[in-house]
This record gives sequence, C-alpha cells and structure tokens, in this order.
Amino acid sequence: MKQTRRGFLTGAGLAAAGVTALRSTPTAALDRRDVPGWDDEADVVVVGSGAGGISAAIEARRATADVQVLELFHIPGGSSSLSGGVCYMGGGTPLQKALGFEDTPEDMYRYLIEAGGPYAPADKIRLYCEESLGHYDWLVGNGVEYARVYSDEKELAHHAASLYHSGSERNYPYRDRVRPAPRGHVPPATNMMGGQRLMASLLASAERLGIPVRTRVACERLVTESDGTIAGVAVRENGVRRHVRARRGVVLAAGGFIHNPEMLKRHAPELYPCSGHWGRAGDLGMGIRMGMGVGANVLRMHHGFAVLPLYPPENVLKGVAVNRLGQRCIAEDAYYGAIGHEFLYNQGGRGWLIVDASCDYPGPDARVVMAALAGDITALGRALGFAPGALEATIDYYNAHAREGRDPLLGKSAAFLAPLERPPFKAYDLGVEKAFYSVHTFGGLETTLAGEVVNVWGDTIPGLYAAGRTSAGIPAAPYHASGLSIGDSTFFGRRAGAVAAARKA
Amino acid sequence: MRQGAGSAAAMVLVLAGIAAHAERPTGDPERGRQVFQPCRTCHYPEPGFGNYNGPSLTGIFGRKAGTREGFAGYSKALKDSGFVWTPELLDAWLASPGEFLADSTMIFVGIPDRQARADLIAYLQQFD
Repeated sequence: MKQTRRGFLTGAGLAAAGVTALRSTPTAALDRRDVPGWDDEADVVVVGSGAGGISAAIEARRATADVQVLELFHIPGGSSSLSGGVCYMGGGTPLQKALGFEDTPEDMYRYLIEAGGPYAPADKIRLYCEESLGHYDWLVGNGVEYARVYSDEKELAHHAASLYHSGSERNYPYRDRVRPAPRGHVPPATNMMGGQRLMASLLASAERLGIPVRTRVACERLVTESDGTIAGVAVRENGVRRHVRARRGVVLAAGGFIHNPEMLKRHAPELYPCSGHWGRAGDLGMGIRMGMGVGANVLRMHHGFAVLPLYPPENVLKGVAVNRLGQRCIAEDAYYGAIGHEFLYNQGGRGWLIVDASCDYPGPDARVVMAALAGDITALGRALGFAPGALEATIDYYNAHAREGRDPLLGKSAAFLAPLERPPFKAYDLGVEKAFYSVHTFGGLETTLAGEVVNVWGDTIPGLYAAGRTSAGIPAAPYHASGLSIGDSTFFGRRAGAVAAARKA
Repeated sequence: MRQGAGSAAAMVLVLAGIAAHAERPTGDPERGRQVFQPCRTCHYPEPGFGNYNGPSLTGIFGRKAGTREGFAGYSKALKDSGFVWTPELLDAWLASPGEFLADSTMIFVGIPDRQARADLIAYLQQFD
C-alpha cells in the first residue's frame, strides 16, 4: 500500500486517538485501489452548496455534464445564505447605468488594485473586472433580482436599495486617484438578508436544471488514481462510508475555516481571539484540508475579513480612533473592513474610539464598551494610560484642522469632521477582547484563472478545482469592499464548473 | 420520520439537560455580550431590531418556541415542538444543536463550554 503512514494516521481508525490534534492537518487522499467500489457517480462532483458550489454546478450542468452537489447540512446555501449577499460588480452594469453612475472596467480594476495592497491577485482581478458585465447578466439570468434603487449610506441599511458604495471608493486617497462608483449589487432585502435571497435564486436555478443537491453528506477525503488524477470523493452519509466517483472532476467549494479553532490558531492566529466568528457551521476547513492532502498549495492563510463595524450610526465617525500610543492611524470613515484590519493586524488588536457629547452612540451598544469617561481630554488620556500629553496632542492637532474642515493627516471626509470639544468625553474600547469584530478567513487553495487547483510544485492537479473561500481568490487582506467574496465565489465558481465539465475523462 | 426522531432526541436531551445542568454556573452578561457576537450573523436581542436571518431574541425566555411574529424561517420541528424557552433548554440546545433538534433551520457549531453558555444566557436575560 502506498503512503501507508499518512493514510493510516488520517484514516477512520484513529477516531479515538486524537482527532482534535489532527483537525488542522491535511486530510490524506484515499488510493483508488483501496476503494471497494463506487456507490454513486457523476461527471462533476461539487463539494459544498454555497455561492461558489452552486455557481460551479450550474455552469457544469449547462456544459451538459452530469453534476452532483454534496452538502454537509440538511439545508443548502452555506455561509453565502447568511451573508449580506452583496456582489461587487461594475464597469457600467445596467443597474449602474439606470441609476446614473458612470463606471469602466479600468476604473474598477484600478480601485481594486490600489486599495487591495501587495497581496491583491492582479490576474484574477483583471479578468473579474473585464467580465463583470457578463457576470451581472449571468446572475440576473439565473433569477437574481436587483431593484433600481441606490443607497447613499455607508452600510447596507436601506432595505429597498440594490446599489451602494460598498467599499472605500469615496475615501481618501482612492477618491482622488480613481473615479468612485457604487459597485455593491445586492438583492433588495430587509435586515441584511440579501444572501438568503441570492442563494434562493441560485438554488432555484440549479433545481430547474435538474441538479441534485444531496444533503447531510460529509465529504472526508479525495480519492486519487495512481497518477495523481482525482477520481472521486470518500464521504460519510448516515454514519456509513461511501465513495462517489467523479468522472471529470471534483470542485471543492466547502467554505473557509473560521469554525475550526485548531486550524485558526495554526494559520490565522489574529482571527482566533475575535468575538464574531462569522459564517455557517460548515466553515470547518474540510475542502482546504482535502486539497492539501493531495499536495495543493495554499495562499494567504492568515488573511481574513475583519470587520469592526463602528457605523451605523455614521455620526460616531466624527469621533477619533486611536492606537495604543494615543495616535490616529486610519481615517475613521474608512470601510469598516479596513478599520478592523488596521486595529487587528497593524495595531496589535488594541485601540479606542474617542467621542464627545456630539458624536456619541445614542445608547449602550453591543459592539463596543466604554473604557473611560472624563470631563477633559487630559483626564481621559490619563485614564487610558497614554503617555502624558499624547492624547491631547492628537486631539488638539485634529481639532485645529477639523474646524477648517480638513484632515491633513489621514484625509477623513469633510462630512465627518468636527472638533471634539463638548464634554463629557468618552473612550470606547476597540480592543479585540472587548469589541465586536466579525471575521472569516480568506486563505485557501491556490487556483488558476480557470479554477484549477495548483500543487506545491506549481502544476495543476488533474480533475481538482476549487472556488469560494476554499480557494485563495480575490478577497485578500485588507478587505476593501463588501461583495468581493460573494463576487469571487460566483464568478470563479462558474469558471471552475465549466472547465471541470469540459475535462476529458 | 426525521421529525419524529428529532423530537424524541430533543425530549431525551431536555430531560438529561435539566438534570445535568441543575447546577448551571452563574453567567456574566458582559462576557456573554462577546460570546453572543457570532450569533449576530442571524439574531438580534435588542428590542425593535426585529428579525434577521433568525428570529428576534427579545424576551425569549418564557416564550413559546417557534412563535415570533413575522418570522417565516422556522422549521416544522421547532414550530411543532410546543415547548416554552427556558435557560435550561437554551443551554441544552447550544451545547449540541445537531442533537437537540436535528431538523432545525439553525445550523450552528455549538458552544461546548458551560460557562460560556451561562454567560450568553445571562446576556440574553437582559433583553426581557
């Protein structure tokens, strides 16, 4: 038998001996010769039924492949169905045009590259922007509905709206470099339930195409041919091990790993202590581990969506956010993913929001707790333990310019500039222990533009594809616009499905 | 059939839960505020916030399960369960959501730590 030790260690026999310790390790593949027989088969087997998986399944089916979707839980939809359901699209979509906004694929690309930082995958972003109009048509063609209503709010609080500026497009310095356009597209929905609507549409489309979604199926290991080609998946259903053959390919779209504490501690320790681990219960890293088990490379494993939602209400953004030195480090009106990233990754998970009586939260708020209350800034700085004079220097400098409607240090928008001078002054704790950080993972399997999984030697693994948060896609830290994760999942999920369906078995 | 199995399992857990948690640790609502944060993917306890992906949790204790006005997402299992929410029952559910009501629409990882569950319950009790 090949790879006896790895195979033995991760086999079912080890259940009692330390499964916990192994939850962060690759899941070794099963050799085809050790499969007693196939219990089921399809051309393309999709692991997971969120936005990535269902988009892959739809495109594979349209390419005439026989498709099967396997879902861990009894209800399909994955974390996408609990998300805001925003898709970042642009370049002049019919909705942008109908609402009077100009945009080009080039502007969209330039914003994503400028705001994305050094880890932004330029090749994927280029393709994503060039084909954004087609992707909009694809979503609408699959029953996703958008209303001709624009919202000017920073956060998706307007229930009837389908278009908004979902990132930092209107913030310094991007507003001066790239013409801002609203690119967050979302089905109109009350109380952040756009994801439910998005997935209801995509799942209904999959159903019309006759794609079976098998629920309560736990995918455990990939099955490989002797030449390394992926042959199928070993699953557990009602406690029984079964083997599903994939004649052309397996698409891993099983989400990220925010609910796998061992994996989180090992790969993304910054995200581990955050209070709001965000996502449905299937984000256990299974798809990533299965891919690693056949030698897949992983990218950006420590990256994450780290939202510190100070707003709404937008009025609190007239406050000043400071780090452990009592100094400002990011414009307070930045996209809340950028704020969260700054304090979590760059400031050691510590920070405070300083407000006066004019920009305080209207009442106790579950997102933050008060760390100090004082009649003047000197006393507030002392209570927070800053070096003498540090907070006063920050506030004096800020106030002097805010009175003129300017923020030369960080470029906060004029709408949120006002001197802090009305006592009492309060400091809210933005530390990771006390504040609400909603977080999920971005790291995952390396994939090509076609969704093929790449191994550690740089070769594609025949018959293996990945999408959504199982793959390392467009979303990279710092996250700079809502809708990039769902956008990436649907867009590259489609490609993975189409390419898998076309592979010669 | 699954409904029946789910309800039976629920009953067993209810009884077991009540016995096992007779000495539930005292909860700290401030710690519970942070324990509850992942639940905000779907639930808000604040009065007036209403239903999200999950029903509002304002005044959950003492309410009949599956009866929040305007919430359409309940499973048949929960609507038919007929029980009234108590801290003990919520504790049992959060300890092992897959066993308490396997067919519930709440797909959740669970909170294995007893103290954390007690903290969360103490937090929710503030919104009665």
